[in-house]
Amino acid sequence: MRTPNTEASISRSVRVIVRGALVVLLSIVAVPPLSAQAADDGIVMPRKTLSVGLIYGRESWNEYWEGGLKRTNANLGTVTTQSFSIVGHYGITDRMTLVSMLPYVSTQASEGTLHGLRGVQDFTVAAKYRLLTTPFTQHGTLSALLVGAAAVPASDYTPDFLPLSIGLGSRRASTRFTLHFQSHGDWFLHGTAARTWRNQVKLDRVAYYTDGQLYLTDRVAMPGVFDWKISTGFRKKRVYIPVSLVQQRTLGGGDIRRQDMPFVSNRMDFTKAEASVMYGLTVPTDFAVQFGASTTLNGRNVGKATALTVGAFHTFRF
Amino acid sequence: MISKISHLRLFLPAVLSCGAILFAGGCDNSIHPTEVLPPLEASSLDANAGNWRMIVLSGPAQFTVAAPSAVSSPTYQAELSAIRTAQSQLTSAQRQAITYWSGGGVLRWNQITRELVAKFNLPPAPAADGSYPVPDPENPFGDPNFPFANPAYAARAYSYVSAAQADALKSAWYWKFQHNRPSPAKVDPAVNALMPVSDLPAYPSEDAVLSGVTVEMLKVLFPAAVEEITQKAAEQRNAALWSGKASASDIAAGLALGKAVAAVFVARAGSDGLRTAGGNAALWQSLADAAVARGEIPWISQESPARPPMLPNYGQVRTWMMTPAELIAERPEPPPSTSSDEMAREVAEVRRVVDNLTRDQLAIALKWNDGAGTYTPPGHWNDMAAEYVRDAQMSEVRTARAFALLNMAMHDAAVGCWETKFYYFNPRPSQLDPRIKTPIGLPNFPSYSSGHSTFSSAAATVLSYLFPEATTSLAAMRDEAAISRLYGGIHYPKDIEGGKVHGARIGSYTLRFAQQDLSD
Repeated sequence: MRTPNTEASISRSVRVIVRGALVVLLSIVAVPPLSAQAADDGIVMPRKTLSVGLIYGRESWNEYWEGGLKRTNANLGTVTTQSFSIVGHYGITDRMTLVSMLPYVSTQASEGTLHGLRGVQDFTVAAKYRLLTTPFTQHGTLSALLVGAAAVPASDYTPDFLPLSIGLGSRRASTRFTLHFQSHGDWFLHGTAARTWRNQVKLDRVAYYTDGQLYLTDRVAMPGVFDWKISTGFRKKRVYIPVSLVQQRTLGGGDIRRQDMPFVSNRMDFTKAEASVMYGLTVPTDFAVQFGASTTLNGRNVGKATALTVGAFHTFRF
Repeated sequence: MISKISHLRLFLPAVLSCGAILFAGGCDNSIHPTEVLPPLEASSLDANAGNWRMIVLSGPAQFTVAAPSAVSSPTYQAELSAIRTAQSQLTSAQRQAITYWSGGGVLRWNQITRELVAKFNLPPAPAADGSYPVPDPENPFGDPNFPFANPAYAARAYSYVSAAQADALKSAWYWKFQHNRPSPAKVDPAVNALMPVSDLPAYPSEDAVLSGVTVEMLKVLFPAAVEEITQKAAEQRNAALWSGKASASDIAAGLALGKAVAAVFVARAGSDGLRTAGGNAALWQSLADAAVARGEIPWISQESPARPPMLPNYGQVRTWMMTPAELIAERPEPPPSTSSDEMAREVAEVRRVVDNLTRDQLAIALKWNDGAGTYTPPGHWNDMAAEYVRDAQMSEVRTARAFALLNMAMHDAAVGCWETKFYYFNPRPSQLDPRIKTPIGLPNFPSYSSGHSTFSSAAATVLSYLFPEATTSLAAMRDEAAISRLYGGIHYPKDIEGGKVHGARIGSYTLRFAQQDLSD
């Protein structure tokens, strides 16, 4: 704190290089999804199949929850977050799929004077393992999956300019358990839950006030996160249409105080409804497109966001 | 058909998670919320501090502390017995309180004050009709809370706490060496010294003086925090007793002296002009009209709904070391006219910087932002000063003097800067060019000159006198704090230059007082 930022900037450069190297390394190790579209679905790729996709997402909100109080803020207007994500799924075996994702994110507020931010966000890699598949009742098949995932910020973005930061800047690890029931007809039922551990975040400032206390440090302890999701829908050879209810609960953290800015370790909770359609094209083969939408039903310290996604995937078989 | 599970494969996701956890630094979430303060062992008793020049009190004996009973008296012996009993039954919470307060009372109260500032540094939320409710000292618990501890309010709060502590401790030192009664741990070998106990006479107790003077100041400055303040003060007195540092009569005499001194400062605070610093709609309009009459574009609030400017009459609040005439005389030269080519170049420079901001520049802007919800720029300088003070192992009275000098200079800087801002009523860069978007929050008051630059320059001037070995790094911090406002897109280069010169000049008034206060 007694020296200007030279030292911090050197260590930041080193961190960026280390992270960059790691991202490259992990990208080589973890190849990228088609019909398998996310770490939390019930689908594993066939062995030696690679799916690569590009997803565009646009999320916006003009109301947010300041603690439990839903409000608007004329100094933000509508906050829009756009992202381009590269996703990859690779079937190592018929039971195990590696999933990875890297988004480029940009933020913007329609009103007020605050500057939007943009940059590469967090690199995620996950291993999805099908524990078992078994006939269940006379109607279908039940699968159980275990997923381990890790994410690391892939650039040196600041998490200290919410709601316009592009991410929370925390390294994290999670374990997920999924049950997926596929009927002999074409519908499915799916439930998944995960616990995420998040590492502390380092700010560019040496003091902050949150959750009723002044912290005289640049380190922020990040509470863990629990999330669950139930989905149902239709799945046939070329078509996959899930409709889901998602809930996230942050296991600690303070509220945004009255007329304060959000803070990285806030208790960010939400319940969302999601729906998407994925369709495998016949021409060209091995191509699939995906459209998704979600809306926030309830929340705490988050925006009441509506999101749309459009994605395209290509599958390679080796 | 149940598939056969390969254990190796089963554990791959788990292994990946563990690897990620290790990579994430073991998910180490242990942080240290407060500065670590080692037990204070002052390098000097500062036995002559009773003769140091007072800030507000007429002299060290303005309030009399009557002679204590002799150490051999039954009254005092009973007090010693009570300490021995207390020490034989200390709980772990009581031991923690002793450890906490052994770091130094002035430093601890400085931390507590910074926390209170951060807690109360929130602007009122707009009402449904677009108006802004005004924090009401008669209803401090309402919405909004009183106060809105913005940088100007905070500068004044830090200065009142520090100045009152300094005068109270000088008086305490005077009486200590008049009465010369040692601490219980020095008198009675059966009383343990659970804090460092020096040869400093214990009557009146400096810890009790600090608790009394600080709690009375903070109750006025942060009335909605009365409960936590009172508890902390009581804990400080108890820790002094439990640790063998002070007896019940040492503490009673100290508490009374602290409160008596506080009353003088509370009276001063009640009539120093803060109450009318917010102004009213007619005043706000007259400031804009005056700028227009000078041919200038007046500042307007860029908040939505438009918010009244922050404490437009704060420039009339009483200073510590300057007369009103001196304050006016030190006002910086006018900024470039809003219609001048020079101003156009200033605006273009801000836009160029913000549109090409590097990550390191953003880090500097965020590091020094000290905006809403923080302990403010004066708090940041107190934070830095606390480290120098801690390392210097000063006596409590010398520590109080250091913070008083720092905070009086920053208060005077706040008054001088606000007087300048509202005199010129100069628009922010983003008002003159709405394409300028700011990577930090835009303060809701006129631009010229920069408050950060003024505060930091005044602070660095005083701290360089107190800690000459740190002059170079203090100057670097001052410059970084100042330039951070250009990186933040909220100040022109001229605001920063003007503020730095202004702050140094204002700081020199406190410096002159410091050089002549007989403490060296």
